Amino acid sequence: MVEHTFASTRKIRSEHSWFGRWVNVPLLAIVALLIAYGSVMVQSATSGMSAGDALFMRHLIGIAIGVVPMVIAWAVDYQSFKGWLGPLVVLDALLIVSPRIPGLGYEAGGATSWLAIGGVRLFQPSEPAKLVTIIVMAIVIAQYKGRIQSRQDVAKVMAFLALPLALILLQPDLGTGLVFVAITMGMLLIGGIKPRWFLVFALVGVLAVGAVLQFDLLAEYQRSRLLVFVDPSLDPSGAGYNLAQSKIAIGSGEFSGKGLGSGTQSNLNFLPERHTDFIFSVLGEELGFMGAVALFGLYLALLAIALEIAAQSRDLFGSLIVAGLISMWTFQILINVGMTIGLMPITGIPLPYMSFGSSFMVTNLTGTGMLLSVWARRQGV
Amino acid sequence: MSTFRQDLKGRFASLGIIVLMVLGVLLLRLWSMQVLSGAEYVAMAENNRVREISTEAPRGRILDREGRELVSNRATLAVCVEPAAKNDEDLLYRLSTILTMPVEEIRARVSSTKEAALRPRVVMIDASPEIVAYLSEHESEFPGVAIETRAVRQYPFGNLGAHVLGYTGEISESQIDEPEFETYALGDIVGKSGAERQLESALQGDKGYRRIEVDATGAPKGIIEEVEPIAGSDVVLTIDADVQRVAEDSLVRALQDAHDSGFPSAAAAAAVAIDVQTGEVLAMASYPTYDPTLFLGGISQDNWEALTNDKSEYPLNNRVIQALYPPASTFKAFTGLAGLHYGVTNEWSQYYCAGTWTEMGKQWPKKCWLHSGHKTISFHQGVVESCDVVFYEIGYDFYKQGDEKLQTFAREWGFGSKLGIDLPGELAGRVPDAAWKTDFNENYPEYQKWLPGDTVNMAIGQGDMLVSPLQMASAYAGIANDGKVMTPHVLQKVLDSKGEAVLTAEPEVAFAASSTDAELDVMRRSLVDVTEEGTAKSVFRGFDSSVAGKTGTGQVAGKDDYAWFTAFAPADNPRYAVAVVIEQGGHGGSVAGPAAREILSALLDLPIVHVQATDVSR
Repeated sequence: MVEHTFASTRKIRSEHSWFGRWVNVPLLAIVALLIAYGSVMVQSATSGMSAGDALFMRHLIGIAIGVVPMVIAWAVDYQSFKGWLGPLVVLDALLIVSPRIPGLGYEAGGATSWLAIGGVRLFQPSEPAKLVTIIVMAIVIAQYKGRIQSRQDVAKVMAFLALPLALILLQPDLGTGLVFVAITMGMLLIGGIKPRWFLVFALVGVLAVGAVLQFDLLAEYQRSRLLVFVDPSLDPSGAGYNLAQSKIAIGSGEFSGKGLGSGTQSNLNFLPERHTDFIFSVLGEELGFMGAVALFGLYLALLAIALEIAAQSRDLFGSLIVAGLISMWTFQILINVGMTIGLMPITGIPLPYMSFGSSFMVTNLTGTGMLLSVWARRQGV
Repeated sequence: MSTFRQDLKGRFASLGIIVLMVLGVLLLRLWSMQVLSGAEYVAMAENNRVREISTEAPRGRILDREGRELVSNRATLAVCVEPAAKNDEDLLYRLSTILTMPVEEIRARVSSTKEAALRPRVVMIDASPEIVAYLSEHESEFPGVAIETRAVRQYPFGNLGAHVLGYTGEISESQIDEPEFETYALGDIVGKSGAERQLESALQGDKGYRRIEVDATGAPKGIIEEVEPIAGSDVVLTIDADVQRVAEDSLVRALQDAHDSGFPSAAAAAAVAIDVQTGEVLAMASYPTYDPTLFLGGISQDNWEALTNDKSEYPLNNRVIQALYPPASTFKAFTGLAGLHYGVTNEWSQYYCAGTWTEMGKQWPKKCWLHSGHKTISFHQGVVESCDVVFYEIGYDFYKQGDEKLQTFAREWGFGSKLGIDLPGELAGRVPDAAWKTDFNENYPEYQKWLPGDTVNMAIGQGDMLVSPLQMASAYAGIANDGKVMTPHVLQKVLDSKGEAVLTAEPEVAFAASSTDAELDVMRRSLVDVTEEGTAKSVFRGFDSSVAGKTGTGQVAGKDDYAWFTAFAPADNPRYAVAVVIEQGGHGGSVAGPAAREILSALLDLPIVHVQATDVSR
């Protein structure tokens, strides 16, 4: 009935050409621009590194690889996932725990987040797990047809979040765990939860953070990052150093930047992780406030197009998937950019379409494919 | 059903608002950082990537009046230690073993209470090749220790003129707060005494600097800006190295003469030679002297102790300006001039010296140095023979006249005042008067009253009168220069980088005495006769120029007599004045006189002969 309502309120557009049905030109253009922008920044960030050319090549290869799952996701009818809740939950859990399986894990940066075979890193399974979680939560929430009423319903939905969340926190990967939470919150908003529940979640969140700190549940590197976020002077040359150098890089970019390739913070190695987590610091330093405004313009366009796709979705399930993607990207932008300017603690969350990292790029492109899949099957086509 | 559509629209709107808020908050923060506070971050980024390294400016050289290098510079390999290393006991201990230097001494050199003291401090200069090789090979075991090339002072003439030239050292932490040293940094070398100190602003150049770009590890990437240091200016002194050498040698010989003639305590002496018309100092010798190279790279505690302990005769003191003595008979020239000026005496006034003088009453007898007495004697002859009775009479007359005319007259010649020589530490001396005596004996009321004996003693240069050798030489130069006492000075000119003079010292009159030409002529005739037939005749026998001079033998309680000789020459066309003091040297004529003769010989290009004078008069 809800589906019917969707269809009846929209103007029927039955006379679509093949191109008009499948291709969302603005979305593809924006994504292409974002990827191009990111590639320019990664190139600039890696140019001074000893293996800079190889890294940039890997970035481009990641983009090329990502196009394949994007097209597949685009072609596959998202509605066909609806009947696969059980297997998808299992897949989600398997993806998340796979690095913990002896012989398959690879430790980097204090967390075992890589899947490897024979010591060769393949990809970070938590990245595709984000997309699987979006589909799982969309299937679960869509069952309530836009109205999540009882406490039991909320509990049921949260139970489906709890499994991947618990597993990801065991990695430990706090940042990705928070992405899962943000995705769920955004989807619940669209899924029709009563707003007062967000207060409850906020309360639980605060208690959880308190408990984590109290019982020392964090990995040492996470703990120091959090403490430094509160007081950057604690460790100016360690964890606080990254934050301080990032802020200096961005601030010193001023209005129009130092020029592409001319960032001193970047080229003289003051910026750590500058092609991955701190790519925005390079952008801020070299292209200034103008460069940041341009990036945010592209993000705003991407998210606005996504919202429009959500609104035009044939069913609530499609809207929920898109809402999950919007939440994922928005949250990652907030955390990543926020961390580079001292608004958020330092977590290893990359910047969508911009940061170096093939698993991440593939995930973003697959997400784009899912957007297109919902678009191609919108109302009136 | 439409309600649900409305709800969903509202939910999409909420999600859209959240997206806008996230982007908005981030952009606001970016605006604040990049646009509002951008300049601060630019400064921090610059501070990150730019290191400024100052390059020392070579210190100006010090030349004698003939352009000979008295002080120049040379490069040395110095062991430098960063201040932060001072708390590394193990490091200091190992360094101590290699440098064979006490740990405490290394720590003292590295230590600094200033926060800003980041510059490596010199711990040792002239490091041996073995030390350089060892420290270079074991660099990693000695963090914060480096071998650097530093410029240090070099003294081509050795100790010659050490007191005039002065020594250098690292700026002290108290000095650096003074306005004069505003632009200095800790570790900078500054003049500590003598001309080095006085002419600091000319000798010190402008430091250069190099701004280099470094990466995060501090590795240099390139030079951004380089400003060459501007060397300090060379200065030319009025000192003549040849005369200085003779003056210093003459003091050594005079002390030997004193020892040979029964004055074994003689251990210190001073001599100075000035140009009577300009006040230029051609030689300034003080004994004992010191080795200014001891101060290079910081003086060791042992050496400092040796130079300053109370048995050392204080070699760092420049006795010419920093020691005060009773002028003894050399002052009779001024008592005499005062008597002539105020009509108390004239050239041929007659006196009678019975060997003992009792004018102040039988209970206050005073002896002439010639106990048998000079019998009937004129004023002229009184100067020539240095007869005390003649000057007792003149002094007593001044006492009876009141108004402290003798004191006023003495001050006209610069006694009791600093002459304003361009060297640090000059002392003013003392012309005693009633006010001084009251003040000086503040706690002894019974000694406060000015007595006739005080003026009488002052008249022969004893009692409480105190002068520096420079004052005495300058006052005698004044007698030669129509009563004008010139400001003595050691700086002749400051040179620019092309060797052109940018500043030249002009002669200045420091004091102009009221004596008339006729009065001065009377005194000059007497002083010439002193060297021709009087108390210094054996000293100047065979000397190829006429000399106007005066002996002096100062009595100091508890010590052997201090020997004085002051003179100017040529007497008929005066050019130079000389004063010599030999502490506890005995008789002025026999001990100080020969030294003065040697210095005058050097000044007048006459053969230098060391005479064995036999004058035991005063």
